[in-house]
Amino acid sequence: MADITSQTPQRSLSPYWTTAIAAALALAVVLTAPLYLDIYLTNVLIRALFLGVLALTVDLVWGYTGILTFGQSAFFGIGAYACALVFTHWGFGPGWFVAALVIGILAAGLIAWLVGLLSFYHGASPLYSSIMTLALPIVLVQIIFSGGRFTGSSSGLSGFPTYYWSINTWFIIAGVLLVTVASLAWLFVRSDFGRILIAIRENEDRCAYLGIPVSAIKTGLFVVCGAIGSIAGFGYAAFTNVVAPELAGFLLGTESLVWVALGGRATLIGPILGAIGIDVTSSYLSGSLPFLWKFIVGVAFVVVIILLPNGIASLVTGAWRRYKTRGKDETAAHRHRSNVTLVPAKSRRLEENLSDDKAPILIEALTCRYGSLTVLDGIEVEGRRGELLSIVGPNGAGKTTLMRCISNGGERTSGEVVIAGEKIGRRSPQKIVELGVGRSFQNTSLFDSLTVGDCLRLARYRIDGASYLERTERVALPEPALEILKATGLGRQLGLETRYLSHGMKRGLELAMVLATEPRVLLLDEPTAGLTKPERTAIGDVLTRLVEDYGLCVFLIEHDLDFVREISNRIVVLHQGKMLLDGSVEEVVSSDLVKAVYSGQETETPA
Amino acid sequence: MATLFLDILTTSSMLFIVAAGLMIILGVMKLINFAHGAFLTVGGYSAHVVTDAGFNAWLTIPAAALVGFVLGIVVERVILRPLYDRPLDAILATWGLGIVIAQVITFIFGRGVQFAESPISGTADLFDISYSSWRLILVLVAVVLGAALTALLYFTRFGLNARAVIMNENLARGLGIDSVKVRALTFGLGAALACAAGALITPLLSIDPNMGLPWLVNSFMLVLVSGVAIPGLALASLLLGGAQVLVSTFVSPIIGGITIVVLAAVILRIKPQGLSRG
Amino acid sequence: MSALRKPESAESVLTVEGLTSGYDAAPVVRDVSFSIAAGEILVILGKNGMGKSTLLKTIMGFVRASSGKVHLAGENITNRPPHLIARHSVAYTPQEYAIFQDLTVEENLRLGVENDKLLKERLGDVEAAFPRIAERLRQGAGTLSGGEQKMLLLSRALITRPQIMLIDEISEGLQPTMVARMAEVLRATKEKNGVAILLVEQNLPFALSVADRYAILKIGEIVERGDVAHADTAATLEEHLRI
Repeated sequence: MADITSQTPQRSLSPYWTTAIAAALALAVVLTAPLYLDIYLTNVLIRALFLGVLALTVDLVWGYTGILTFGQSAFFGIGAYACALVFTHWGFGPGWFVAALVIGILAAGLIAWLVGLLSFYHGASPLYSSIMTLALPIVLVQIIFSGGRFTGSSSGLSGFPTYYWSINTWFIIAGVLLVTVASLAWLFVRSDFGRILIAIRENEDRCAYLGIPVSAIKTGLFVVCGAIGSIAGFGYAAFTNVVAPELAGFLLGTESLVWVALGGRATLIGPILGAIGIDVTSSYLSGSLPFLWKFIVGVAFVVVIILLPNGIASLVTGAWRRYKTRGKDETAAHRHRSNVTLVPAKSRRLEENLSDDKAPILIEALTCRYGSLTVLDGIEVEGRRGELLSIVGPNGAGKTTLMRCISNGGERTSGEVVIAGEKIGRRSPQKIVELGVGRSFQNTSLFDSLTVGDCLRLARYRIDGASYLERTERVALPEPALEILKATGLGRQLGLETRYLSHGMKRGLELAMVLATEPRVLLLDEPTAGLTKPERTAIGDVLTRLVEDYGLCVFLIEHDLDFVREISNRIVVLHQGKMLLDGSVEEVVSSDLVKAVYSGQETETPA
Repeated sequence: MATLFLDILTTSSMLFIVAAGLMIILGVMKLINFAHGAFLTVGGYSAHVVTDAGFNAWLTIPAAALVGFVLGIVVERVILRPLYDRPLDAILATWGLGIVIAQVITFIFGRGVQFAESPISGTADLFDISYSSWRLILVLVAVVLGAALTALLYFTRFGLNARAVIMNENLARGLGIDSVKVRALTFGLGAALACAAGALITPLLSIDPNMGLPWLVNSFMLVLVSGVAIPGLALASLLLGGAQVLVSTFVSPIIGGITIVVLAAVILRIKPQGLSRG
Repeated sequence: MSALRKPESAESVLTVEGLTSGYDAAPVVRDVSFSIAAGEILVILGKNGMGKSTLLKTIMGFVRASSGKVHLAGENITNRPPHLIARHSVAYTPQEYAIFQDLTVEENLRLGVENDKLLKERLGDVEAAFPRIAERLRQGAGTLSGGEQKMLLLSRALITRPQIMLIDEISEGLQPTMVARMAEVLRATKEKNGVAILLVEQNLPFALSVADRYAILKIGEIVERGDVAHADTAATLEEHLRI
């Protein structure tokens, strides 16, 4: 099969080079700045630079991934206290220095991991997760208070031994740390993995149904950011020679949110400038106009959240974008440069389909109750390889609930779903995707700001993984997915942001993404809703081929009964949560019982 | 023993009173008001102003409630309404508001600690011990408040509309309920309750620009655990408040300070809907 | 009975002109026009997913109309907020999540009227139509059977004493005797109180037993319309709607 390439292949500078150049420039500034700045400003800037690193971690966790976190300061504080405690109570020297740094990193990482386990499980509300991140610094500060002489309680520790290097040296250390972290972060957010973070922020649920381990990723990111925050805190304490509980408290945590919100979420440079700008200005004004300054910051924060949710940096990026796209028409303006190349994947799964003897999917006595309402009652169905089973029934019959119960182990009240011999138990959606179930949804909620190519790449995460530093060019997709892309013309739109796709194309993209996860059972919920006639025919052809040539087992919910008649091998009729009939197309279509149900005349389901 | 029992009862009552306003806001607007602590502070300072001006100390409570209501209506209109579709941003905006309010208060009153006169001072004799009268009054207040809120929710038209909006906002709108107005009035009421709570607790604590802060997180946790129901909140206040008192008495006051937070985190992890649904 | 009523009658309660709503590229409701006069029942027929519910939601202001107009008794209500439209004496019964499960029967009914005095006065309407509901005021709505819940739904709409009712698939899942009762109640309402009713239905016999006129919606457009009284209507409709 020929490669499908996007319209405008570009020869652009590799991200490694652009980052290296920018970093070099920044380092040059760092090395020369102290020569021009007075001592007070340099002093203030060193602290601000360490805080800038903290702001970066908040941007990664909140700006990019969407986890509203009040508690990154806790990790900053852990690093700071590791420094102070080790140097005060155990010893000082190069060995101790490294040891304290490592202790800080490990402690921060461990605590971040625990908080992650507690807060980021599947189905946790964002509110709950945020409140947990708020609880973290509060608990930590109380622990510090209760430490008595050991931790210095509310007065903190000071005067512990540290390296009394010159101000300029410290400036360079802080600057180098910031530039290094910023450069790595920059590569990271532009990499494949960075796209996944954005996808999690925009539509976490959809990510789970593509097999992306959202909870693990959030926790992992939290741990890494905690470790980085701890390093920054360590540096801060080593430089200032003072630690106090405020460094770990939630006031600092919320301040970091202010820096990121004002500077510009998900821009990296915005939060850094925000942190440095606000911190430096505070130092100068805290003597003369303390309340007025905090008041101004508070008001600016509220105003920015309401009117400029993307921060002040968005004014700049917005202007830049308008400049770049002047003179181009609407869609061209939203097409990004895309280096994505689609290639056929070596999909073992689809070949396995043809040789497997266990039933791809078995539903046993499935019952689903919400309170006193019984939505599904004792459903028994077996799906077969190479068969398209349509599920029909009046509204409220329980069709979508059935799909939910299959794709999410936690939904049903009783009964079991067995995928290729494996019971799903209470597994979360992402684990069920691993068993080989792919699901499409009634509404087309995709990832608005990601491009078509990005979406396809991210759908392959479970099978192909994702690079942490690079944007891979080749995306391997199974044949059926490639066919859909060709049929819908999406293959030529790899650089278009999905929010600009027509409804029909979004449906096609969604189907391609689900197929990219190489499922053996495909659950489709009203795939033709809102499509034009030619689009319906196209989807119908693809589904028929999936079933006949690739041996997939497809469950389809549809209202368009003509469509159902044309492409189904079998039809199951649901009514008021019970299975009315399970038979071939002719059997169902000619059944009087079914006709009566559809016209509302029959309401009792015969036993 | 009697002291412990009364401590638990009075602490739970204080927590209930402080958290009630936050809970009705969460219920109707699905929003956690991070300015809650600032509203408590405003209530405290209103009490100070009233008693400083020579008025009867009992007037501090209605005065604070009035200030809170007006403030709440303005805040809802200006800050919260534009953020209806962005709940996480709304939380942040209320936090920013809290900062602004704290600065304004500091600007007007200075950083120092203030005091307000207590309507009732001294102790009462109960169960063979002398116990702070005002604390005992708060138990009464909590009970009356719980009853009044329940009456409002279940016996008035506003309460019916509010419950309808809580259960299904779109259905309520389809029946002619102006859900925007319900939300605004609810926020006003929640703010009024928060300020009144501030005025109620000042006789027991001092007044300073950050007095509301320690209550903020505990209130959140209680409200989340309560499952947004008045009996749930009462139960949560009793259980978690009781636990806090026990830990503070028998282990250490500092660890006692985080008892509510830790217990709530655990409860919510096991039962995300809180204590009220079955 | 109403075979010759012209759509552009001066007594038209609801007039819909060129209404389009839904996704931009593939609208769910396309260029729909019709009008209903007082004391008249128009039924919108069509298979699932053809846009019937969306049509009602658009009229009610829940879904934005991208073009077209909706007039209620002469006043333009296009894209107004739902609660204002409801207060214009429009009773809307949605297909799903239509009653408050956790409120009592009485509280559900109360939400249909402005104050409790009106509730007492109008309870008689409910008693006449569905005595079973009037007997169970204190019961939690969620504990009613499916059929009783639909009766409650219609009672709530009746108690509003609206000038027009928008009813979405109310016969769904009901036993034949109950469906017949519903039909009786609707006919009585239209005849006694001159209420206009826009009915959305898939149940053909029920629809034909109450409606004066019909319109068939297919992929968002009205493809056929006419009077129910005509002889071959039932057969034509069966054709269009066969499984």
